[in-house]
Amino acid sequence: MSTNLESRSPATDGTPAPRKILPSLVTGQEGVLIGIIAVLWILLGLLTPAFLTSGSILPLLVAVAPIALIGVGMTFIIITAGIDVSVAAAIMVTAVITSQTMVATGIPLIPAVLLSIGVGALLGLVNGLLVAYGKIHAIIITFGTANVFQFIGLRFFGSSTVNGLPDTFDVFGRGEAGRTLGIPHSFAITLLVVAVAWWYLRHAASGRHLFAIGGNENAARLAGIKVKPLVLMTYVITGALVGLAACFFIGQGTSTLEQSVGAGRELLVIAAVVIGGTSILGGRGTVFGTLLGAILVQTVTSGVTQLGWPSQLSDLFVGVAIIAAVGTDILRERSRRKS
Amino acid sequence: MLKKRLLQSAAVLAIGALAMTGCTNKNATNSGNDAGNSGTTTIAFVPKLQGIPYFEAMNAGGKEAAEDLGINWLYQGPTTADAAAQADIVRSFIQQKVDTLIVAPNDPDSMAPLLKQAQEAGIKVATADTDAPNSVRQVFVNQTTEENHGKALSESLMKAMGGSGEFAIVSCSETAANLNAYIDVIKKDVAANYPQGELVDLVYAGEDQAKAAAMATDLMNAHPNLKGIVGLCSAAAPGVAQAVKDAGKIGQVFTVGGGTPMAMAPYLKDGSSSASVLWDVQNLGYLTAWTGKELADDKQLQPSFDVDDKIKGVTFDAATKIELLGPPLIFTKDNVDQFKY
Repeated sequence: MSTNLESRSPATDGTPAPRKILPSLVTGQEGVLIGIIAVLWILLGLLTPAFLTSGSILPLLVAVAPIALIGVGMTFIIITAGIDVSVAAAIMVTAVITSQTMVATGIPLIPAVLLSIGVGALLGLVNGLLVAYGKIHAIIITFGTANVFQFIGLRFFGSSTVNGLPDTFDVFGRGEAGRTLGIPHSFAITLLVVAVAWWYLRHAASGRHLFAIGGNENAARLAGIKVKPLVLMTYVITGALVGLAACFFIGQGTSTLEQSVGAGRELLVIAAVVIGGTSILGGRGTVFGTLLGAILVQTVTSGVTQLGWPSQLSDLFVGVAIIAAVGTDILRERSRRKS
Repeated sequence: MLKKRLLQSAAVLAIGALAMTGCTNKNATNSGNDAGNSGTTTIAFVPKLQGIPYFEAMNAGGKEAAEDLGINWLYQGPTTADAAAQADIVRSFIQQKVDTLIVAPNDPDSMAPLLKQAQEAGIKVATADTDAPNSVRQVFVNQTTEENHGKALSESLMKAMGGSGEFAIVSCSETAANLNAYIDVIKKDVAANYPQGELVDLVYAGEDQAKAAAMATDLMNAHPNLKGIVGLCSAAAPGVAQAVKDAGKIGQVFTVGGGTPMAMAPYLKDGSSSASVLWDVQNLGYLTAWTGKELADDKQLQPSFDVDDKIKGVTFDAATKIELLGPPLIFTKDNVDQFKY
C-alpha cells in the first residue's frame, strides 16, 4: 500500500488522483461499525424507555466529543506506527492549569480555550521531540512523559482540588448552555475537526505521507519524505487537541476539579482508534472510524447502565470489541500479504 | 577506573552503615518510649488516596493535633484509590518503624496481613475512616456508625422526595466496606419506613466524578419516573447533582450524598442537591492523630470521653475496639458555608 502512495509524486497533487490509489470513501470497518451502532441503538431504543430520546443521545454525544477529539490526534500518531499513552496525564495538566487560571483571574472563554490548547501543544511538543529525534519507541517515551506530566499536574493541584470553577466552559457541557438549536457545541466542534482531519489525511500530500511513514519508515525517508518533522507534528496536534478536550472535560464536570480528571481516558481513546479500524501496526486508519469507535464505546457504557445491567459488563464488552477489531485487522493484513 | 569503583563501594558501604545505625538508634528510642518518653512520637496515616478534599481535611485535622500534642504526623496515600499502591506506602512506613500506623484501607482483606506484619515489627496499628474488621488493628476510629450514616442518607432523601417514588444509588468502589454497609442500611430503612419508596438501580462509578455524572444521566433516562439519586461518596455526590442540573431536572429529581462542603455548596444552593451527609472530617483527622498517640503511649481508651472543647462525647467499645466520633453532620444550603474544606 505504501509503495503505491509514494509513487504518487507531489507535483501531480493539483490533478484529481487516480481512483485506485485513494481508499474508498467508507472503509469496510466503518461500514461494519455504522451497522453495529445502528443495530445497538435500535435495540436499546426498544429495550429501554428513553435511549433514543434527545435527553439520552445528546449527553452521549457530549461524552463522546473529548474522546473522539483526542482520538483524531491519536489516529494520526498510530498511522505513523507510534502511540501516545501520556494523554490522560496531559489532560490533567492542561485541565488544572486552565481551571486554576480561570478561578484566579476569571479570564473569558476564548483566552481560556487558547491557554488550554497552548499548554496541551507544549506537552505534545515534548513528546514529539523525544519520539521523533530520540530513537526510542513511542510507547516507552510517552510512558515516561506520562509519569512526568502526572507529577507536574499533582504539583499544580498541591494536594487539593480546584474549587469554585466559574461556568465559563458550560458552553461545552451537557446542559442547556452547551447546545445551540439542540446540537451540543462540543460534538459539533469535534465533527468539524474530524472533517478537516479526514480531508487532510485523504487529500493533502503530507497527510498521505503519514501513511507512508507508518507503512515503512525507511522507505518513506528514502522517498524524500521529511519523516521527523511530520512525526513531531502528529504529537503537537494531539497535544493541542488534548488541550481543547480538557476544556470539554471541565465543562462536563462539576464545579470542583478533582485530581482524578482524565484518569483512564487514554485507554478509551486508544480503544476508540483501534475499534475504528486504524491498524495498531501503522500505515492504515481513518479518523471517521475513530469517531465511530468512540460512539460505540460510549453506547456500550450508557447502554449497560440504561439496561440496568451490572456496571462491569461495559468493560467486558469494550474489551471484546477491541480484541475483535485487532483480530480482524491482523487477519486482513495476512490475507493482503498472501495475495 | 578501579579507584573510582573503590570509592563508590566505600560510599555505598558508608551510607549503608549510616542507615543501619540510624535504624538501631530509632529502635532504641522506640523501646525506651515507655519509660522515658524521649524522642517525638511518629504517627503515620495512609488515606485511601491523597489529594481529594475529604482526606485533605482529615490531614488538616491531623496536623492540628500534631501541633497541639507535640507529635510527628506523617500523611501519605496513593494518587488513585488503588489497593496495591496503598500497600507499598504501608510497607514503607513499616520499614521506617513509625510508632503508630493508621490506615483507611482500599481493600480491607488485602490490608489485614500487612497490618499483622506492622504489629510484629512493634508498631501500633489502627484503622480510621474505613475498617479492616478481620485484622489485628487495635482501634478503628469510626466517624459515625454505618447505621446512623445510612439512615441519615435515606431520611434526607425521602424527606426531599416526599416519602415516595423511585430512586437509584451511584456508589463508587465496589469493594468499599463502608459504602456497601450504607447501601444495606438504606435498603432496609426504606423497606421498613418508606413503603412507597423503591430502589430501582445500583451502579458503581469508581472514584470518578465524570463517570458518576454520566451514569446519573443514564439512570434518569432509564427510569423516567426517577425521583431521587444517592451519590454515595465524595466524588459521586457532586457528579449526580451536576447531572440533574444539566438535565434541567432540579425539583423533579432530588439528590443526596456524601460530598465535602466546598464541593457541594453550589449544588446545595441551586437545589440540585438537597443534603450532604458527612461528619466533621477535620475533627475525625484530629481524633485519628490523638488516638494514634494514645496507642503509642500504651494508654487505655475510656468507654466515653471528651478530647477537647470541640470533640466531645467520643465513645469506645472495648469488645469491638471501635471508637466513635459522634452522630453524622448534615450539610444543607443553610450551614454549608461554615465549612472550609
